[in-house]
This record gives sequence, C-alpha cells and structure tokens, in this order.
Amino acid sequence: MERFDDPYDDTRIHVTPAVIEPGHTFDSVTDKISALVLRKRTPLGWWVGLAASFVLTNMMLGTIIYLVFTGIGIWGNNQPVGWAFDIINFVWWIGIGHAGTLISAILLLLRQQWRTSINRFAEAMTLFAVACAGLFPLLHTGRPWLAYWLFPYPNTMGIQPQFRSPLMWDVFAVSTYATVSALFWYTGLVPDLATLRDRARSKFGRVVFGMMSLGWRGSARHWARYEVVYLLLAGISTPLVLSVHTIVSFDFAIGIIPGWHTPIFPPYFVAGAIYAGFAMVLTLIIPLRKFYGLEDFITDRHLRNAGKVMLATGLLVAYGYMSEAFIAWYSANKYEQFMMLNRFVGPYAFYYWSLITCNVIVPQLIWIRRVRHSHVMLFVVAMFVNVGMWLERFIIIPISLHRDFLPSSWGMYAPTIFDFTMFFGTIGFFFFLMFLFIRFLPVISIFEMRTMVPEAQIKEEA
Amino acid sequence: MDATHRYTAPDAVARYRGRALLAGADFLVAGVVLAYTLGSYAGYGGFVQVFRSYLVGFFFCTGIAVGSLAWLSLGHMTGGAWALTSRRLFEAATRTLPFCLVLFIPVVVSLFVHEGGRSLYEWTDAARVAGDEALKHKQPYLNIPFFVVRGVIYFAAWFFLANLLNRWSAEQDTTGDPRLRRKMQDISGVVILVVGLTATFAAFDWGMSLEPHWFSTIYGLIVLSGWGLSALAFVITVATFLRHHEPMNDAYQPLHFHDWGKLLLTLVMLYAYFAFSQFLITWAGNLPEEIPFYLRRLHGGWQAVGLAIILFHFALPFALLLSRQRKREPSRLRRVAILMLFMRVFDLVFFFAPSVHAGGEAEFGARDLLTNFVPMFSMALGVGGIWLWYYFGQLQTRPLLPLGAPELEEAIAAAAEHH
Repeated sequence: MERFDDPYDDTRIHVTPAVIEPGHTFDSVTDKISALVLRKRTPLGWWVGLAASFVLTNMMLGTIIYLVFTGIGIWGNNQPVGWAFDIINFVWWIGIGHAGTLISAILLLLRQQWRTSINRFAEAMTLFAVACAGLFPLLHTGRPWLAYWLFPYPNTMGIQPQFRSPLMWDVFAVSTYATVSALFWYTGLVPDLATLRDRARSKFGRVVFGMMSLGWRGSARHWARYEVVYLLLAGISTPLVLSVHTIVSFDFAIGIIPGWHTPIFPPYFVAGAIYAGFAMVLTLIIPLRKFYGLEDFITDRHLRNAGKVMLATGLLVAYGYMSEAFIAWYSANKYEQFMMLNRFVGPYAFYYWSLITCNVIVPQLIWIRRVRHSHVMLFVVAMFVNVGMWLERFIIIPISLHRDFLPSSWGMYAPTIFDFTMFFGTIGFFFFLMFLFIRFLPVISIFEMRTMVPEAQIKEEA
Repeated sequence: MDATHRYTAPDAVARYRGRALLAGADFLVAGVVLAYTLGSYAGYGGFVQVFRSYLVGFFFCTGIAVGSLAWLSLGHMTGGAWALTSRRLFEAATRTLPFCLVLFIPVVVSLFVHEGGRSLYEWTDAARVAGDEALKHKQPYLNIPFFVVRGVIYFAAWFFLANLLNRWSAEQDTTGDPRLRRKMQDISGVVILVVGLTATFAAFDWGMSLEPHWFSTIYGLIVLSGWGLSALAFVITVATFLRHHEPMNDAYQPLHFHDWGKLLLTLVMLYAYFAFSQFLITWAGNLPEEIPFYLRRLHGGWQAVGLAIILFHFALPFALLLSRQRKREPSRLRRVAILMLFMRVFDLVFFFAPSVHAGGEAEFGARDLLTNFVPMFSMALGVGGIWLWYYFGQLQTRPLLPLGAPELEEAIAAAAEHH
C-alpha cells in the first residue's frame, strides 16, 4: 500500500490516497460500472456522438476508396516533400497510444495504484490509436494489397526486405506493439466479461459475454494463473513503450537530412509520445467522467497525476528543442544552421512558433496548483498539447524536407483536401471505436476497482 | 525505533576517512608522475596528459555530487522508503559541491597549459583557432573567460539548490515541521529542471569540447545518466558498508536494497540506451563531422575497450541485476555497484582519452591504451580518495537518517513485504 505519496496531505500520512471516493463497497463498484454496459436505455448523447463519428469514419472510408482507385497523388506530398501528412499522422497516432502502455504496464510494475481506474480506458485508446496509425503507412505504400511484401517470407520473387532500413524495423515494432497491446487489454478484460455474463439480463448478452469470457469461473486457480500472465504481459509491454517510438525516430534519424539526423531523437520521441498520450488521456477522461458520473472512480488525483506526467514529459520535449537549436549553431555546419533558421524565420515559421507556444509555453501553467486542480484548465492545456504534438511532427517532417542541401530543388508543401479528409476521418474512426467501447465493454476495470474499496483493505488491520 | 537514537555515523567512517585521504594522496602523486612520464613518452605532452588524466577524476567526483543532487530531489518528489533511507547519503554527497569547485581549479589552470602545440582543450590554442573556420565560429561560446564563468555559474546553481535542500532537511530533524516536507518537494521540480540544464552544458563544456569539432545532441543526456548512475552506485556502496556497523545494521532493510537495485538496473539500461542511440545514429549517418568520434574509438585496440563497455557496463550488470535475490542481498548488490563505479571510470577513459588526437594526427593505437588507462585510473583513485575523505567528513556531521521525517519509523521497520 502506498502511504507516502499524497503531496497534498501533510499530516494524515496513513490514509489511503484518494483513488476512489469514500463510501464504496464491492457491490456498489460492480453495479455502477457494469450498469454502463448492461442498462437498457442508451443516453441520447451517446447516439449523437456515435453518429457524428460515424459520419467522419465514412469520410475516411470514402477517401481510402478514392485513394486506392486513383493513387496517392491525391495527397499533397510530392518532390521535394515526399513525406508529409501520412507520416505525421502515423507518428502522431502511434505516440498517443504510448500513454496507454505506460499506464497499464510501467505504472503497474511501479505499483502505482492510481493507474487502476484509467488503465482499461487508456489501453483501449492505445489499440484504437494504433489502428488509426497503421492505416497511414499501409496506404502510403500505394498498393496496400501488397503490404505483405513487407514481411520476410519465403517467396518466388527471390528478394527479401531491406533489414538495414528502419522502415522495416517499424513493421516489426508496430505489429508487435499492436499484438501485445491487444493481448494485454483482452486479458485484463476477461474477469470483467465474466461479471457481465453473470449479470446480463438478456439471453443474447449472456451468450456473447459468455463466449468472450473464455470460460472464466473466478476460481483460485484461474486467478493465480491470471496474475502471472498479467504480470508477464506487463513485463513484455514495458520495453515496447521505449522501443516503438525509438524505432519510429530512427525512421528519420538514420537518414542524413538536417532536422532528422540527430542523436537525441530516440529519447526525445519517446518523451513526446508519452506527452501526447497523456494529453489525449486527459482530453478523453475529463468529459467521460463528467458525462457518465464516474467522478468517484476517476478522481481529482488521477487528473492531477496525469497533468504532472504531462508537464514532466513536456519539459523533456522542450529540452530536445533546446538541445537541437544549440547544437545546430554549435555544429558550425551551415546546413544544420540553415535548417534551424528556416524553422525560426522561414516560410513555415508561424507553425514553429505555434509549436513552441503549444508544447513549451502553455503547459508551464501546470506548475500552478490552481491550474492542476482545475479540470477545465487541464483540458484546455491538454488540447494545446494535442495540437502542439501534431505540429511538432509537421515541423520535423515536411519542413526539413522542403529546403534541402540544393536550393534548386527547394519547394513548398501544402496539403490537399484529401490529406485533411483522411486525417479528420481517422479522428472520427478513433472516436467511433471509442463510443462503441464505452457502450459495450466496461470502461473501468471492475475487479481491480474492487480491490481499492475499504473492504479489500481489511487484511491491513488484521 | 528508539526515539533517542541519533543514528550518528559509526566510528568506522572516521577510520576509513583517514585511509581514504592517505590512499588518495598516494594515488594522486602516482597519477601525476605516471601521467607526466607516460604522456611525455607517448608524445602527447606530459603536462597536458596530467591535466587530461586529472579531468577524469574531477568529472567522476563532480558527477557523483551532481547526480546525488538529482537523486535527492527525485526522492523528495516521489517519496518512498528508498528515498528516505538514502537521503542523508545523497545529501552528504551534495555537500561536497564546494569541494568540487576547488577541484575545478586545476581544470581552469589546464586552459592555459600548452606544450609543443598541444593543449587539453584544442580551442584554447589561439593559433589553432585562427586557422580553423569551425573553431572560429564556436569562439563566442568556446573561449576561456566564458568557460570559467559558466563553470562558476553551474557550481553556484548546484550549491544554492543543494544548500536549500540540506538546510530544510536539517531543520526537519529538529523541528519536525510538516511543512518542510512540502517545501522540499516543491523545490525539487525546480532542482531537476536546473540540474538538467546546467549539467547538459557542463557536459558540453568539460567533455564534448575536448573534441571541439564534434557534436552530439544527446551528449548531455549521456553524461547526466552517467552521473546519476555513478551517484547511485556510490550510495549503494556506502550503504552496504554502513550496514555492517551500528546503528545502520538494523535500519537498512532488504526492501531498500531491492529498490535501489531496481533503480540501478534502470540506470544501467538508460545509459546503454542513450549511448547506443548516439552510436547507431552516428554510425548510420557516417557524416564527416560526426563519425571521427567513433573512428578514433574503433581502431588500434580501442574497439576492445568499446566491447568491454558493452559487456561490463551493460550486459553483465543487466543480467546480474535481473535477479531479485541479488538485489536484496547487500553483499551481492555491492559487487554490482562497485563494478559500475569501476566501469564508469573505464567509460570516462573511453570518452576522454582519444581526444588526444582530436586534432587529426596519427591514429590512436594499442600503446595508447596503457599510456591513458594507467594514469587516468590512478588519478581517478587519487581525486576520488581525497573526495571520499571530504565526503566521509560530511557524513559525520548529521544523523544518517532524517529523524524528523514523519514516515521514517515506517520506512525502517522490518516491514511486511508488499509484493
């Protein structure tokens, strides 16, 4: 049990930190969370949200159909900017997923109890974000039906993928990440699915949840095996938090383009990913807990801690910007210097300074206690970070490409309408999956929350 | 806990204090003589080699002090038994910062030492700078007055913050005022921020500018994690030593060593991650400004040094620290901690020694292994011994546990395991 870590409580050090509001019992926790899934009436707001995100999903599907029939020329990237929205969005979405893995795996190993009520939700966020991310490189291959060529399988063409290319490593990193995240999420769901099976009133619900719960009976043997599997999956997931975005950063850093080729990229990308991920967690859970009345389970403490993680990782990202800018000057390499100058005062300077505002300046507000404690302010800061982290990839990817070593090959980049329909389409798709998840599966881990209520702490007194 | 127990440093500390000074002085003298003789023999300038070897010792000891400041504030921010029980050991290390400033004086002197066209820092040689466009470009940053001023600023910032944390912690001992805990926690975020920035530039100044044409954005993080690693390995070593004596034999629990061991494992991995990132990206890019750093270190026998670092700075401690039992047994954990301290010096030699030929002269060879490793290790032991004497002195001035911290009793109780 954690005893020392509530910074806002100087005297009562033996009190369990408020990761759940007082007054809850095993029953009330189970009732409250499972009711979100099992109730008969679906709130109107859910239908509205689902409909809106469904429209956007169809916009994405329409774009994909047009793209497949026409070719990726419908996007704005071309020489000299060969990578743009497709890769920006890929990196942005993958990054968002990282908070889910950090919360579910690393915070579990660090015995941080506050993760319990948000891990399920954050893991779902990871899965959906990875699904959105995967679409972009897949479609950018131009012939997505041949994407299996990326895998090293014995083939009659007599060729193998280029193993020295980080793009190849990306295929393995992201597919591993998606697989492990899905397993972790589903394994965690199994006991709760059994709870839903037992409590469902309709036959259909009992059958579906019954099949999904894989015969879970809650016996001591089940639990013992479950604990082992869950811990092992956490151990396997932990390096993935670092490795996936490290390899994503290699996509750029292994090349020799100024603005891409710099050794700080791996840790700086990882920090940025966690930063973006926590911003997205806050963006989603602040409205969710309000509309679904989950304030008892997702408490102020969760929001505060997520805010602090966001601040810390944001400072690491700022450190990356500082180090890049200083070394660009210090390198005495005119291409490096030009790249930095082009960011500061070039044609896209507006976006660079917007990035600094969103990612470095605004988040400093979290130092202020009042901001940390205000849900509205946290939400606003998180929105800034969402935008800022997208802009960061915009600055790194197209802006480094548009003016390279040879002025005669310079050019400007502008996205087309289809870049936007694809991007906003994936946002719609993400929310579409989110809405379905909220309606059909327990958004908070029921059985883990049960361990948080006072009844579960009895052994401490004995 | 016995309420009247003061947890003062055992007599053994006083005993070892004297020995540390004596051994340190011996090694320092030997280091100077060896560095001068071997340096002159190898042709990189006797005095220059004395200063280069000295730099290893200075960098190592200051790294422990600054790394301790970072751990101290990290501990205040996160809380937990590991932080409480190690607090005084880290605090004592941060109180050596004024002594480290004294150790900085020879580094300043080295800026003025030129011997047959050789200098420790190539950019201090006006003739070389005049004929080199890149060095001329860097002159607004790499010049003697600014270098010294920056050094003083780093020390001032570290000393100021360390002093605040030390003062409040001592005050907590006597008054037990609960607000102090909050104050220390609040300032700790600022400490991490300031240490991160100042240590980065200190690393650029003292380490990276040894090869002034070369640059790396991750160098600051490599050094910072290296300092954190040295500080932690050092404190673990001290704790395992104190554990053999009254009164600490009852206070430190296997759980504390377990947590420190976990943190050590994390730092071992983090350092390897940073160092490998720099290597892979530099190697793959293969650019003329960057790759010489590794070319100098991957030829003439030095590739074996690099391999040894992979094996003994990462692979071996990584494998050893995976074991839960090893982390919980102080005597076994101590061996890993001492290995890490040794490998930190080893790694510093790998980073600093090949700068001898940063000017682009003849390739570094196997002979240079001897002429660098011997004086540099001797000097690290010399400066380290004298620093240890000062450290033990600081350790004696305060109780070895923060007596006023309200969570102390619980932290040192032979607690039921919580996992």
